[in-house]
Amino acid sequence: MFRLRNSALAVLLAGYCLAQSSSQYVTPEIRRVGDKLACLCGACKNTVATCQMLECHYSLPARQRIAKMQKEGAADAVIVDDFVKREGKKALAEPPNEGFGIMALATPVLAIGAGLALIGWFLRRYRKPNAVPVMTDEEVQKYQDQIDKEFSKLD
Amino acid sequence: MENIGALAILLSFCLSIFAIVASLVGAWKKKPFLIVSAERAVICVWSLVTLASGLLIYALMVGDYRLAYVAAHSNKAMPMIYKFSAWWGGQEGSLLMWNFILATYALVVILQNRRKHREIMPYVTTTMMVTQAFFLMLIAFLVPPFQVLSTGGKAIVDVGDGQGLNPLLQYWTMVIHPPTLYLGYVGYIVPFAFALGSLITRQPGDSWIFTTRRWAIVTWLFQSTGILLGAGWAYSVLGWGGYWGWDPVENASFLPWLTSTAFLHSVTMQEKKGMMKVWNLVLVAATFFLCIFGTFLTRSGIVSSVHAFAQSPIGPYFVAFLTVTIAITILLILSRLDYLKSEAPLESVVSRESSFLFNNLILLASCFAILWGTLFPVISEAIAGEKISVDAPWFNRVNVPIGLALLFLTGVGPLLAWRRSTPDNLKRNFMWPTIGFVATVAILMGFGISHFYALLSLGLCTFVTWTIVSEFFKGTMAIRQKDGLSFVPAVIELTHRNTRRYGGYIVHMGIVMMFIGFSGAAFNKDTTVEVKVGDKFPLGRYEIKVSDIKMGQNENYIWQNAIVEATVDGKPFATLTPERRIYEKSQQPVSMVAIKRQLNEDLYINFAGMGSESQLPTIQAYVFPLVTWIWAGYWVLLFGSLICLVPAKIKMQYARTEVVGVSTKNVPATK
Amino acid sequence: MTIAIAALLVLGVLIYTLIVRPGSLPEPEPVSPFRHVDEAKARIYENLRDLQFELRLGKLSDEDYARTKLDLQKELAKVLSDAEKLKAELGVQTSVKAAKPKVAPEHVCPHCGKKFKEAMKFCGSCGKPMEADA
Repeated sequence: MFRLRNSALAVLLAGYCLAQSSSQYVTPEIRRVGDKLACLCGACKNTVATCQMLECHYSLPARQRIAKMQKEGAADAVIVDDFVKREGKKALAEPPNEGFGIMALATPVLAIGAGLALIGWFLRRYRKPNAVPVMTDEEVQKYQDQIDKEFSKLD
Repeated sequence: MENIGALAILLSFCLSIFAIVASLVGAWKKKPFLIVSAERAVICVWSLVTLASGLLIYALMVGDYRLAYVAAHSNKAMPMIYKFSAWWGGQEGSLLMWNFILATYALVVILQNRRKHREIMPYVTTTMMVTQAFFLMLIAFLVPPFQVLSTGGKAIVDVGDGQGLNPLLQYWTMVIHPPTLYLGYVGYIVPFAFALGSLITRQPGDSWIFTTRRWAIVTWLFQSTGILLGAGWAYSVLGWGGYWGWDPVENASFLPWLTSTAFLHSVTMQEKKGMMKVWNLVLVAATFFLCIFGTFLTRSGIVSSVHAFAQSPIGPYFVAFLTVTIAITILLILSRLDYLKSEAPLESVVSRESSFLFNNLILLASCFAILWGTLFPVISEAIAGEKISVDAPWFNRVNVPIGLALLFLTGVGPLLAWRRSTPDNLKRNFMWPTIGFVATVAILMGFGISHFYALLSLGLCTFVTWTIVSEFFKGTMAIRQKDGLSFVPAVIELTHRNTRRYGGYIVHMGIVMMFIGFSGAAFNKDTTVEVKVGDKFPLGRYEIKVSDIKMGQNENYIWQNAIVEATVDGKPFATLTPERRIYEKSQQPVSMVAIKRQLNEDLYINFAGMGSESQLPTIQAYVFPLVTWIWAGYWVLLFGSLICLVPAKIKMQYARTEVVGVSTKNVPATK
Repeated sequence: MTIAIAALLVLGVLIYTLIVRPGSLPEPEPVSPFRHVDEAKARIYENLRDLQFELRLGKLSDEDYARTKLDLQKELAKVLSDAEKLKAELGVQTSVKAAKPKVAPEHVCPHCGKKFKEAMKFCGSCGKPMEADA
């Protein structure tokens, strides 16, 4: 029985390992292009260059494709365009600076701007350099003793 | 048994509805009977949810494989601890746990306030029970945990053994990560409920803040712990060496953390000066709703994520619940703006107060940016008709500058005086920290480091550390002078006097250490190789050699590992054994990476299996500088937060005015 | 069996929830109408104390200290006059229970006069026995 299970183990490991391929390794050239492309495996937010799942069903073929196109002499932009043509804009790791993609970076920047404006409004609205409660000096004097007495007890 | 469990859930759902109605009517008609009855209903809800949870845990433990949930998330081979953690391993069970935690919080609040806050308690009960009723509805009708397996007709099927918990989750941090995060997620309901209660009843003063201060800190601590446990788990289990991937669900847990951090800061403004009342209410509400939103994001499947539970029909209900409750909250705040009027003006732009404003701005900007980035693919698909990816590079591009700005403010805040800081003040407080900043940057540049953000970050770390240390040092010296204590007792005395301030500084120190750790990411090195057993390959200052490959099995999984020896300058440095497992039941492969942790850098080795063509071991090796600082920073953060919870020595020993008799003047009708 | 347990459960819950005897109604803690005034006062004293401490730390210029202290005192006076107004409005007499700062009893060395927080057998400064101080 044990031997049987053991051989099952060997088969399993071998079968699993078949999924591996030596072309998965990321050369600096592949990384340069892969960093601009999103891994679309659905489980990570990495780029094709940084996805570390060796057996990733998206990044692995993508890298092979980049390598192949580079061998054929394609420029980076051409490779990226090719991916966009095949997968749509979602192939890009970051939203493109065109069309609706501009909104991706613009909105947070606008939000910070709006926040600063809000703080500006708040400061203007509530800033009163010398405004303390409407108390005349005599009134303060009236309570001065009590204040001093209570405060000395605290410290 | 499953029937009892289902009944308990149904019954507690009814009781939570009863509690809402009874509280509201009781408060409206001034009937203490109804209010007490509602509170008892809450106690019953807790008992019943506990009963249901107990039954489910029991079923998981003994392996009652007639239940769909047990069959899907447990199996015989799993160790007991993972059978227990299967309670929150799936959609139904984790919602039950959500309910359990919420009911427990509600119970504690009810018991704590039997005689206190009678005026606002009905509304506190209502707020908590509305949420409870919603979550109970989910498990009572939509995703029932006590479903039995059956074959089309009536026959109940016992499948004999289950699928087992996802092997990735069979790791110790995963046993505590979800519960901690839930404790944090759910906990913000308490400050929120008290805030709403005092808003509705127009309580004078800020008592809800004092009442819920500890809750807020404890919950925040749970949130932080949960997030960091998740990061630690990702780092040591997922095999890609990252601790944060900007995954939608990670983001979802981070969003309420950001708003609650903002709340913890801006609440001091209200405590000290009675300012920012509307804002604090907005923050506490936002935190609560973001917690619910995070739960929604995890469970509805609207964004794809490693964490997401299987698609389920509960999404639209969450949207409805959020819409209604947010609308009610906004209406309540708007209708009581007069009550929330600020008590004090702002004296100067250069002051501690305005540093809090900027701190809030930055935390919320980060929160908004992350939320925006997380939802952008969905939004772009809805508006522009095309899905646009927003991945890690984008999040880093946006959040790294924001984070550094925050770090800067962490240093600046304590240096500014309340109300106003004249240039003279600024000069005497900022000179030395700034010199520290410049010196650090210069030294690092001398070592040949040119990464802009890393330089800035490490420089700022010195800046902030300097301010914190000098706060402690100066304070200690002042105490020594006055009380004649020696150094260590003086530090303790100083901290004890104002635990929240000095505890807060310690938390800041923990955050600084984390930033040191984050900065290390700029210098990561990695390589992936196929090597023969006995061959060497270089990485950084290490020479790495695979000296042996072994394999074996146990009843849960089969394993294969590589014995990896690393040397530095020819001297043995460490022997690591990364392992690869394939779980029998799920046939899912899992890497058990091996990490040599050090203060300066981690050597991180993943054994990826045998190459298909070469049949050679494939090794992924990484060097992660400074990562240990992140985890060390957590312990400092924990320590600091615990100090914040210690009652301050001289706080609140104020004079109390007591009514001793009626004056001789005409007595007007009491309000 | 299941039905019996279920029935028992429902019944128990109903009885516990619905039957509230007058005796089990909680007696609410008395809340002083002056509580928020007291809190406001405590807050300002706290600020004053902080201010003084920061001055001692050398974090404040004298000018800032003086101005902020004056502001705080004025605010305090305002709160105190508010309290008096409230008192008149409610038509009650009040007594202020003074704060009891929990300062540990000080132990003074009878020989050299140095003060210590804890009771000690021998003076930490001059080393002579401190028994007499008990």
